[in-house]
Amino acid sequence: MNQWMTLFKKEMLEMSRNFKWIWVPLTFIMIAVKEPLTLYYMPQIIDSLGGLPEGAVIELPVPSAGEALAASLSQFNTFGVLIIVLITMGTIAGERKSGVAGLILVKPVSYAWFVTAKWASSMILIWISYFLSYFLSWYYVGVLFEFISFMDFLQSFFVNGIWLTLIVTVVILFNTFMKSPGAVGFISIGIIVILSILSSSLPHLLEWSPALLSAYANAFIMGSNLPDELLPSIIVSVIMITLSLLASIAIFKRRELA
Amino acid sequence: MEFLESINWAILAPIVIIQLILVAVAIIDLVKIEKANGPKWVWALIVLFINLLGPIIYFIFGRRS
Repeated sequence: MNQWMTLFKKEMLEMSRNFKWIWVPLTFIMIAVKEPLTLYYMPQIIDSLGGLPEGAVIELPVPSAGEALAASLSQFNTFGVLIIVLITMGTIAGERKSGVAGLILVKPVSYAWFVTAKWASSMILIWISYFLSYFLSWYYVGVLFEFISFMDFLQSFFVNGIWLTLIVTVVILFNTFMKSPGAVGFISIGIIVILSILSSSLPHLLEWSPALLSAYANAFIMGSNLPDELLPSIIVSVIMITLSLLASIAIFKRRELA
Repeated sequence: MEFLESINWAILAPIVIIQLILVAVAIIDLVKIEKANGPKWVWALIVLFINLLGPIIYFIFGRRS
């Protein structure tokens, strides 16, 4: 366990040297908070852009608080996912390329600890950024529209967080058997996009799909009925996370010994 | 410019501050770093003039580790 802590601390140190602890939370906050603000100021924005004939009246329905928060949630699933993939795609592949992984693994370091320390440090960075930004967005929605109950907020936070966790784990999995960070990022994004498109176009066939978790998270904040498929899809996601983590440890071991 | 007056600046201030912090950190890092991934002055232009995304692009692609 002592060795694991050392590896973990090394990851943390590296992240603060890369300024990841500064820019990842700030970027997440920016993309999340932007949404309720633009929704709130939409009438003024349209006015100031002009180009409308004199006397034209546009009646914009005032978005509900739930819609505004759901808009930030959808930002996490586009820009947020992109940033997550971009910052984690090099964690192992990049170190292998530059030789750092070789330097560490010459010593009797457990492969499982090496992979899990990487996974845990990325997870902590992403969950803290995600919580800060989603919380601020919730607060903004509360100030600009109306407050959504904190329990609903927390539930949607955790449900969507499981999907983000799965993404981190999949990226780490590809990290273990690909050499170039670019290829890791490309393939992970491809798989995430395919999974999301499939699940959103065939929701009746894939109702337990982890990609639908974000849609189910919306149900919490919109106050609509909770779908029955929520629990199965959470279970499927947790199983997929554990399996990919185990698989990445196994693959990493064999790749390094070969 | 009634559009500018109709905006509550207290609400927007945090976003402006976050943007300024990101630009400042990126520029400080760019000055201190030994070698960037490409010419430094191009990165400086990107960080300073691409709104919102500039510093992020620099942190992801500009630093060679």
